[in-house]
Amino acid sequence: MSLHIQNLTLKYPGSSNFVFQDLSFELKEPGFNSLFGPSGVGKTSLAKILTGDIRHFSGEVDHEGMKTSLYSYNTERLPGWSGVGKHLEKITPAGRQERREELISIFGLEDSLRQRFSQLSLGQQNRVNLLRYLFQDFDLLIMDESLANVDEPTREKIILRIKTLYPQRHFLYISHNVVEVSKFCREIVVLRGAERHPQTIVIRGQDARIDREINKGRLDQTMLEIVNASS
Amino acid sequence: MLLHRRIYQFLIIYAIGLAILLLIKYGLDLSDYVIPGPVDIWHTGTEEFERYFFDVLNTLAVAVVGQVISIFIALLVGIAGRQATWFGSFIKVAAYNVQAYPIVAIAPIIFILLGDGLLTRLLIAAMICYFPVLLSVIGIMAEPVVDIEHFYRVTGRMRWQLEVKIRAFENLNKLTTVIVGSATLAMAGTIVAEFIAANAGIGYSIRVALYQSNLAKILVALFLIGITLSVYQGLLELTGYSVRKWWAEK
Repeated sequence: MSLHIQNLTLKYPGSSNFVFQDLSFELKEPGFNSLFGPSGVGKTSLAKILTGDIRHFSGEVDHEGMKTSLYSYNTERLPGWSGVGKHLEKITPAGRQERREELISIFGLEDSLRQRFSQLSLGQQNRVNLLRYLFQDFDLLIMDESLANVDEPTREKIILRIKTLYPQRHFLYISHNVVEVSKFCREIVVLRGAERHPQTIVIRGQDARIDREINKGRLDQTMLEIVNASS
Repeated sequence: MLLHRRIYQFLIIYAIGLAILLLIKYGLDLSDYVIPGPVDIWHTGTEEFERYFFDVLNTLAVAVVGQVISIFIALLVGIAGRQATWFGSFIKVAAYNVQAYPIVAIAPIIFILLGDGLLTRLLIAAMICYFPVLLSVIGIMAEPVVDIEHFYRVTGRMRWQLEVKIRAFENLNKLTTVIVGSATLAMAGTIVAEFIAANAGIGYSIRVALYQSNLAKILVALFLIGITLSVYQGLLELTGYSVRKWWAEK
């Protein structure tokens, strides 16, 4: 499974500015990768192109071997008429109850199940939302600020366990946290704006895992490369 | 609480209106024939209360049935018209155009065709409150609640029933307000129908009082209309609040 984008060009109807102009990059292997860049650079637009929600673009988007691409974002909500636990039960595909329970424990959400979504903190809400995507069918999951407002240790625990549980899936983690993407992501696609060439630079991240310590010096180096690429 | 608020708000407005009338009467030294004094109004009230009360109930019953019919049809059409298909667009455009026409102007045609019976009053009441309700329902149903619907859509779980449920739940406050507001329209429609040609209801009694130039009777009728409508609207608000609570706690 690989993701190959060639000469992608996008301009919104009525706008004179390009969002992307001849944008190209490739993510060859499954894993935890990132889309990084300043606000307004087109991360969400690119995510929506990958999931098929935006179609009026030119260029080639090839998701080889990826049948299902999902896009999750941090302002999603659950319906107000049911509790969190009830909702999760209802949307669990057959045979995935065990995985659901495992994820609930990893995400530290046992105490939130009896509550309404609106009663949860923003961090809990984001965890619940991401969690429900993880037991659906997907080959590519785009996480657009999906762990925003979650405390750092919990975020780290969640990302590391996701990487262990889903080694053969593609993840695209959209975040503004340079430390986080440098540390956990295998490849970081830095989007630089349509006026710059090349429009993207792909940087190798430290790809931290549960069973692998990372080198602080290399992490600093990666962070520096990202900052340089995006500035 | 909502019920109390509605009732005392009406009583305040009615008292202010009455005070202005009496100020005009005494300020301009008008006779009791033009604007009756408080004692006259009180006497007329005690004399006519029972008859007018049942007249108002009669009118309210027609208005309620007309309102229920119009809400039911508006929900059906609104749900059908929520989609971005040619049919949905057609319904939306038709609804916007038709509502721009003052439906009450069609009332004489309905009387010519159907006569002055219950059906005519019902039809006019329903028609007058139907279009505002329809526009609101279409507006609510055609507006996606993206942050909730997204998950169901991308995971292939979205069905039209779920879509309607999400949009109705998220807009229950708006829907309640629209339904409460449409009660006034239904009541107004029924009274207008009774003004034009009918032999029952408070509108008919007001017409008789008008021919007698009896302002006291009209003031008593207005009081009863107002208080009854306030109670009805308060009950509708309470129902909306209870539905929301029940739905959220289910």
